[in-house]
Amino acid sequence: MRLKLVAAFLLAAVILASAIIVARPGASYSRQDRSSLLAGASLRHPAGTDALGRDRLVRVAAALLLSLVGAFLASALTTSIAAGMGTLAAFAPRPIGALCLLGCDVFLALPWMFLLMMVRSALPLSASPLSSAAITFLVLAALGWPACARAVHRGALNLRRADWMLHARASGLRGIQLVRCVTPNLIPLLLPQFLVSIPAFVIAEANLGAIGLGIGEPLPSWGGMLLELDNSAMLFATRWVYFPVALLVLVLLLLEAVAPSDLEA
Amino acid sequence: MTRLSRRLVHCCAAVALAAAFARPCIAQAAPRLPGELVWTIGYDPKTFDPAKVDDQESEMVRYLTAGVLLRFNRLTQKVEPELAQSWSLSEDGKMVTFKLRPNLKFSDGSSLAAQDAAWSIRRVLDPATASPVAEEFLSPAGVRVETPGASTVIVHLPQRVIGIGKVFDEIAIEPANHPSEARVTSGPFVLADYRRSQYVRLRRNPSFSSAAGAGPALAAGVRLDILENPEQETRLFERGEYDLIQNLAPDYFELLKSRDLSSVRDLGPSLNTEQMWFNQFPLAPIPAWEKAWFSNRAFRVAVSQAIHRDDLARIAYLGHATPAYGFISPADAAWHDASLTAPRTDVAAAKAGLARAGFHWHGSHLEDASGHPVRFSILTNEGNAARQKMATLIQQDLAALGIDVTVVALDFPALIERLMHTQDYEACLLGLENVDPDPNAMMNLWLSSSPNHQWDPSEKTPATLWEAEIDREMNLQASTRVDSERKRAVDRVQEIVADEQPFIYLVYPNVLVAISPRLQGVRPAVLAPSLVWNVQDLRLAEAR
Amino acid sequence: MRPALSAAKWLARTLAIVLFVLVGSTLLVRFAPGYLSDAREMDARYGDAARVELSAEAARSHSLPHLLAVEVYGWAHGDAGLSRQYGVPVSALLAPRLAVTGGLLLRSLPLAWALALLASLASSAIRNRSLALLWQGPAALLLAVPTAAMATVCLLAGSGGPVLVMALLLAARDFKFLHHALRKAWLDPHLLHARAQGLRAHRLMAAHILPSLAPQLAALASLSLVTALSALVPVEVIFNVPGLGQLAWNAALNRDLPVLLAVTMIMALAVTLAGMLSGRQDAQGEAQQEVWRSA
Repeated sequence: MRLKLVAAFLLAAVILASAIIVARPGASYSRQDRSSLLAGASLRHPAGTDALGRDRLVRVAAALLLSLVGAFLASALTTSIAAGMGTLAAFAPRPIGALCLLGCDVFLALPWMFLLMMVRSALPLSASPLSSAAITFLVLAALGWPACARAVHRGALNLRRADWMLHARASGLRGIQLVRCVTPNLIPLLLPQFLVSIPAFVIAEANLGAIGLGIGEPLPSWGGMLLELDNSAMLFATRWVYFPVALLVLVLLLLEAVAPSDLEA
Repeated sequence: MTRLSRRLVHCCAAVALAAAFARPCIAQAAPRLPGELVWTIGYDPKTFDPAKVDDQESEMVRYLTAGVLLRFNRLTQKVEPELAQSWSLSEDGKMVTFKLRPNLKFSDGSSLAAQDAAWSIRRVLDPATASPVAEEFLSPAGVRVETPGASTVIVHLPQRVIGIGKVFDEIAIEPANHPSEARVTSGPFVLADYRRSQYVRLRRNPSFSSAAGAGPALAAGVRLDILENPEQETRLFERGEYDLIQNLAPDYFELLKSRDLSSVRDLGPSLNTEQMWFNQFPLAPIPAWEKAWFSNRAFRVAVSQAIHRDDLARIAYLGHATPAYGFISPADAAWHDASLTAPRTDVAAAKAGLARAGFHWHGSHLEDASGHPVRFSILTNEGNAARQKMATLIQQDLAALGIDVTVVALDFPALIERLMHTQDYEACLLGLENVDPDPNAMMNLWLSSSPNHQWDPSEKTPATLWEAEIDREMNLQASTRVDSERKRAVDRVQEIVADEQPFIYLVYPNVLVAISPRLQGVRPAVLAPSLVWNVQDLRLAEAR
Repeated sequence: MRPALSAAKWLARTLAIVLFVLVGSTLLVRFAPGYLSDAREMDARYGDAARVELSAEAARSHSLPHLLAVEVYGWAHGDAGLSRQYGVPVSALLAPRLAVTGGLLLRSLPLAWALALLASLASSAIRNRSLALLWQGPAALLLAVPTAAMATVCLLAGSGGPVLVMALLLAARDFKFLHHALRKAWLDPHLLHARAQGLRAHRLMAAHILPSLAPQLAALASLSLVTALSALVPVEVIFNVPGLGQLAWNAALNRDLPVLLAVTMIMALAVTLAGMLSGRQDAQGEAQQEVWRSA
């Protein structure tokens, strides 16, 4: 319990610190200091600058707020859809359940990259980077659920057949009440899905930059900074390039620690 | 030992076994044969038929395998006889006569005669072949090919063609009536093996002898690995798996330089340009007021003046580019107009120019005369880091004028659809690759009727007076026989372009290459293929 | 009677999936931006050739039913149509790549499961929460680092390849699920009771937890196959592995509809097959239940 409190406190501190860094007067994630490119830590730039001379600390902080919030919400949404679909497929009459699963399988196999391209071409080119980012996360959430929905379906099916569930249904539990019984038991499947989706969405957002979606320049994208790691020229240029990934690992660990755990039950 | 711990041991053993399976995997596609040169190409060649080549990698294979009558020397930039012993062009430029070298042979040992050359040229001209080279004869249907003797070929042209010699650099001479898709050639190498998505393997043509009289190529063969990943290419080059890299990105250039200064070379500005332009197509699906800005010369000039080209070269290319103000690179000394007076970086002048043209500032934001805030998107292609950096730098440069720019990177097909078909874009940042230093090769870009006239493609009649003048001057340089007249016409076009800024030229990227210390005989040239243009002279030093 | 019925059901379901995927993918690819454009159009030398090819493709793909009919005809013919980018039969492209991708999956999936199972068994056997960082740290790191960056690390280190990266990617995800499932299982009332009576952890694990988790493990296995299929593209592209993922990626960039359809079909069949295999557990449970109800 104490660990959980400490983790929650640290997580809040990281977010608060990011907010302060971004809101600090004079801080700008887009200003290019063209005389100091890929600089190391200094008083002016505590975490150095990137390849265009922008302050890395401010960019990481802004990206943390932007990407993390986006990925967090998208992840929550996709996990909810998966939970809903999986439970529906398990508890609904069999034809509906079979239809849901069929939908999942078809959904899993379709090449959605082209849908994303269509979304991009439907958006005006001069759409603001923020709205493009929001749409990207929304679409990612809408496309990410089927794999997990299948696993949830299996879990929910087991629950449906559990003795206590038969008992509960026999004694007249219906609808919402039933869902309230089922959800806590699905947490071992949903929680990891939620936690795994966050970094996956952060990186997916950056990869979608390739088809013109995602967080556009000059907004900082955490995924974009992670992708810098694949360039060995960058790795040798400055050690600060590891900063975003270290921070992401820390945030993931803190989230894991804060997450509702079943051990305390 | 308890049961669980025994199981754990078993598990560990299984993992170790699996890990042993997992270990080695980053190797080159195939082991190097003795005396073989190895480098990479970006994608699978679309065809090995030399007459049908219509992409760059197929062209590379054709360059290495094809025997041609004339070779355009990439270093001296002069046309030299190759399979031909001599060649001549008639006074009116309508008759080309080739005299073949004696005792020429194909790679299968059969002899090469004038009939083979004539057949190969006719095949390229035949509409059924659909050869892209045929277009370069301007009216291929009217071309006649004759063979008055066993070693003489005469080509009659219906009209004069500028730089006709270079056209024959692209026509492979194959055995008459036996097209073989590079399996039987008269060039330095022959196609030996092709594994799709892995490699193209060529072996030496034993019957080949270069015009200089030397025997077959010095290297026993060439393997072209199909690899698009610069990270792997650089690593494998460092490990000695690859012998050269022809188009090195600036950051990897710097990385290799920091490891081993001797292996990399900056050959100076290339013929290529990077430019930005605004969509001036009258029917483009963009608001009318935006079209009004884009067709306003003062607006284009102000944007050009606000861009810090030195920063683009220094930051996006790490100094390995040269700021550009015109379409002919200083590397093309014969045609570059050094006296050009293009608008230079001057933010104050840009603001003054915008104010004179009726724009005004609302707070820090620029608005046009009717109160529309000035904002537009710059489209560029995904996968070119330098280009995306330039776009972001320009974003900040234009923010200084109060212009709000968004940068959008699209994959190539989606980008091309907008540029060539729907015209649904505002501004675009792309590069142009020039393989030929002669400006005549850029006709398609400058003629207002051409589909490649990017800012306003396929105009029925020139939309402006200055475009009409460009048309006139370009047509003049393509038809006149007087060299000084050609130079004057091209200089005039450079002046008009600098003055009107339909293309805002940004930089000439430098040619960056890496050459293995083991590779001998390299004479780097700015023109592509810059390191292997003299492939028959390249070889690896003997291993110690 | 019953096996025949369930086989017919499965066949009908698979056919339905194939049909939906066929129509869905054709629609998505055909109407994606750039289907009728080609990078060579920008090149003065090759622009005309590209435009000729494009107008042929435009005529071919003019009506969707016609396009579908052509593709289905190609499948019926056995060569799955002609690739748009390479101009060779799709089946000739697929055959060598299937083996490569199959090999990659066969080597990386068991490795991933072994790693994940080992780590989660260890993490649930050792109950000290401050030691949790030992498993959670590396798992979080593997989730946070993009595939391309892992590939770069492998290149710099001069060891490790697509199988290892794929296995680590999957192991990190599988571990997350297994870890939580095991923790939940420990808390079942009868296990609490057994632990209170002093039964050793490994006995419980072998006799109660793993068997009771079997259906869930099967579901996870099919989930991780799906993850593996989606990780194929980045891993194969970055490591230059000539497999299906790389082919699919090139086909996507070149809007090569016949190739994309073929690859999508293979993926769809793999997913359905995995679903069916892991579903057998449920079918058995269901059957038992029905027997019990009718009694």
